[in-house]
Amino acid sequence: MTELGQNLIDGLALGSLYALIALGITLVYTVMGMMNFAHGEFIMLAAYALFVFAGLPFATAVACALLAGVAIALIAERVAFRPVRNADLSAQLVTSLAVAAILQNVVAVTVGTRAQSVETPAAIGESTSIGSISVPNLEFVTLGLTAIVLGGLGWLLYRTRTGLAMRAAAENFDMARLLGVRADRVIAIAFAISGALAAAVGVLIVMQTGQVSPTMGLTPVLVGFVAVVIGGFGRMFGAVVGGLLLGALSSLLGVYLPDGLAPFREAIVFTFPVLILIFRPHGLLGGEIGRARV
Amino acid sequence: MSAVRFRSRRSTATSLLVPLALIATVALAGANGTPSFRGTVTLILCNLIVVLGLQVFVGNSGVYSFGQLGFATAGAYVAAFLTLPAAFALLQTPGLPDFIADAHLGALLSTLIAAAISGLLAIVVGLPLMRTSTLAIPISTFAFLIVVYNVVANWDRVTGGSSGLVSIPTTTSVESAGLWAGTAAILALAFKWSASGYRLRATREDEVAARSIGIAVMSERLIAFGISGVLCGIGGALAVHQSGVLNPATFYFGTTVTTMTMLVVGGARSVFGAVVGAIAIATVNELLWGVENGASLFGAISIGEAPGLAAIGLGLILLATMIAMPNGLSGGREAGELPWLRRLNPKASVPPLKPKGSVASGRQIERSVESALRAEGISLAFAGLQVLKQVDLAFGPGEALGLIGPNGAGKTTLVNVLSGFQAPDSGTVSLDGIDVTGRSPVRLAHDGLGRTFQAALPFAQLSCLESVAVGAMGMGAGRRQAIAVATDVLGRLNLLEQAALAAGSLPPGRQRLLGIARALAVRPRYLLLDEPAAGLNEAECGALVAVLRGVLDDFGCGILLIEHDMNIVMELCSRIQVLDDGTTLRIGTPEEVQADPAVVQAYLGTSFLAAVDA
Repeated sequence: MTELGQNLIDGLALGSLYALIALGITLVYTVMGMMNFAHGEFIMLAAYALFVFAGLPFATAVACALLAGVAIALIAERVAFRPVRNADLSAQLVTSLAVAAILQNVVAVTVGTRAQSVETPAAIGESTSIGSISVPNLEFVTLGLTAIVLGGLGWLLYRTRTGLAMRAAAENFDMARLLGVRADRVIAIAFAISGALAAAVGVLIVMQTGQVSPTMGLTPVLVGFVAVVIGGFGRMFGAVVGGLLLGALSSLLGVYLPDGLAPFREAIVFTFPVLILIFRPHGLLGGEIGRARV
Repeated sequence: MSAVRFRSRRSTATSLLVPLALIATVALAGANGTPSFRGTVTLILCNLIVVLGLQVFVGNSGVYSFGQLGFATAGAYVAAFLTLPAAFALLQTPGLPDFIADAHLGALLSTLIAAAISGLLAIVVGLPLMRTSTLAIPISTFAFLIVVYNVVANWDRVTGGSSGLVSIPTTTSVESAGLWAGTAAILALAFKWSASGYRLRATREDEVAARSIGIAVMSERLIAFGISGVLCGIGGALAVHQSGVLNPATFYFGTTVTTMTMLVVGGARSVFGAVVGAIAIATVNELLWGVENGASLFGAISIGEAPGLAAIGLGLILLATMIAMPNGLSGGREAGELPWLRRLNPKASVPPLKPKGSVASGRQIERSVESALRAEGISLAFAGLQVLKQVDLAFGPGEALGLIGPNGAGKTTLVNVLSGFQAPDSGTVSLDGIDVTGRSPVRLAHDGLGRTFQAALPFAQLSCLESVAVGAMGMGAGRRQAIAVATDVLGRLNLLEQAALAAGSLPPGRQRLLGIARALAVRPRYLLLDEPAAGLNEAECGALVAVLRGVLDDFGCGILLIEHDMNIVMELCSRIQVLDDGTTLRIGTPEEVQADPAVVQAYLGTSFLAAVDA
């Protein structure tokens, strides 16, 4: 019982992290229809900001990382994604792949390809005991942050004019534009929030692993993509569900997989969505993409 | 008189010979260079084969896959396993079954087996993945790539783990790589020009329209995915036999970006583009490498992966291409379709077509209990809004039934139910007495049901001849037969003069006629037309009536006509069914319907009142 409880909370924390990644990807997808490959590089760059500003107090360094995430997302949107806004899905995906390759290699050239270690506050690495369950403090941070983000996004989308504009743009971009929604502004806001979410994820990953590397964004972005596919494209709720499922699965496999299969955990985790797609080609919650609209 | 073709002989020859000449030039340049230059060129040719593999799937389907390098990995490891010398095999791959480890095959046989296994893997992986949507495929193939990497990097006893394999025999010469690359280019072109290739390209242009003419999107994609897997496997196998070393990262993310850049920069839709892109990017890559390492041009390189400055350069090139030149250097054209080459040989355009004797005897109708397309008790609600309420409808071969009603009456929804694009909540659809409720649009097209859409949905990048012929190909016709059918149908609709033009370049009115031609090429027994005259001018409307009259008389097929132009409805239809608010208001002859006060009320009164209420 204790063991199960321990595993569940670990899975929930990992799933929350995945949900944050999937949310950042979904947010951009809903207003622009683009799956952003470079989201992983937003995460990576924010993490490197933490590395670069390691001399400052940790809270200040985190603020710098957040700013870096928002800034790179806005710059990428303005320079690379705005010109292909009206291109088809595949063209946008390839464009974001190009952005990802550029950002990754710029860091590799300027800072180096080797992983660098980053110091984080000692308290983060400690655990707190609740009864017989020992919960790492980082998991509290992750869970708390996810709750705040979900609440904040919900408030923004459903209680503010900006949120209304974003939801309208997500439903029907051209129509929203005709009705006076400022497209550039809505998309820029979506990218800014997405960049902030990426930065939060980057900080959490650094606190977990204590290091940064140019390729550290690759696995998170894939996790986010897969979570989005599982949840069904373009659904905020689906992104959260997909992220939590994937996190729980990964966490449970880490505990229960026999030793011989343990190295293949990642392979098994990424095969899982394929099994879902066999039975639900449009994801668990169904998306609008791929359905024939006649 | 020269036979009608999709392309002139000369255009075909140019499209085939130019890529082969480019490959031969590269291979010859390599053969006459220093040993290290030979190695570089050999690897470039191996990369080219992988890019051609990408082109077969991505170019023809329009769907991006980021997993094809997984098949190159599979091919490379299989080829390595089959050829490792005994001493090294014992040391590096102790977990390998004896019959593989002791195979010690030659270069050709190991490459062929690697190709077969990669192709098989592609089919197995593609079976579930091709079921998903155009956007889910890139992501799930990317997941596949990571799965392959993870398995190969951790299966230490068989693959040598992340440190990989060394001392693999280096049997690939620049000449053999050139021969394989040439073969791959021919194969890619042959697929593109095959009936299967045309069907796949139709799904790329418009998935919905392709399904309506009986093209099974998933199976067409799967075929190309399999062929692509074979080519990528060959590229991987040849590359490993050039470099002699292999590790899990050889064909991974970096190589994926490089090969994708080559394809996109060259222009994904054409084989010519794939060849040009691969050679151009490889050259740029070499130059950037030279700058970065201070080395002389064309020094030794490792395949694909280009770290640092070179990778930034490639990324910028890819980005610039997507923004400024999305169709790539080739513009998506084959060599024989290039304007500046066409100017050299004026005959390269498709010769004008002349109408031939009709081949439109129609399909043999198996006489069954009843010949009719019949809907009974169809009901359908969208999120609580009852769109259709217990609607019945029936018409037979040779009959034209008009379906009219105010906007929002449910006409198009009913057509979607009849053609399988929308399942009804209740009610049945039967075709000649056989219950076909719930059958897919693809299946119904094969059962003899054709339809058009309110939008023209052209196959924009295909020529008009190809657009219509692909309708016959969807029914399994070969190219020759499909061309005969298409020529006949185009002649009826007075579109022969435009046969060689791209469908997307026609004016809207002509595009709608082309949509009807495409549906007719399926040889339907029942044809559902959704506002065919919208956007046509008066002369074109007259021509349309004549065409449809001919369809009724010559093809003997039944027509369901949704149309707001009452003149056309009155002229063609023997019976008219009026739909209002999801129910049938009236069925009768044109005269009866016109005289019915309830019908007039529906058209003018209720909508007028509703407007006042609102």
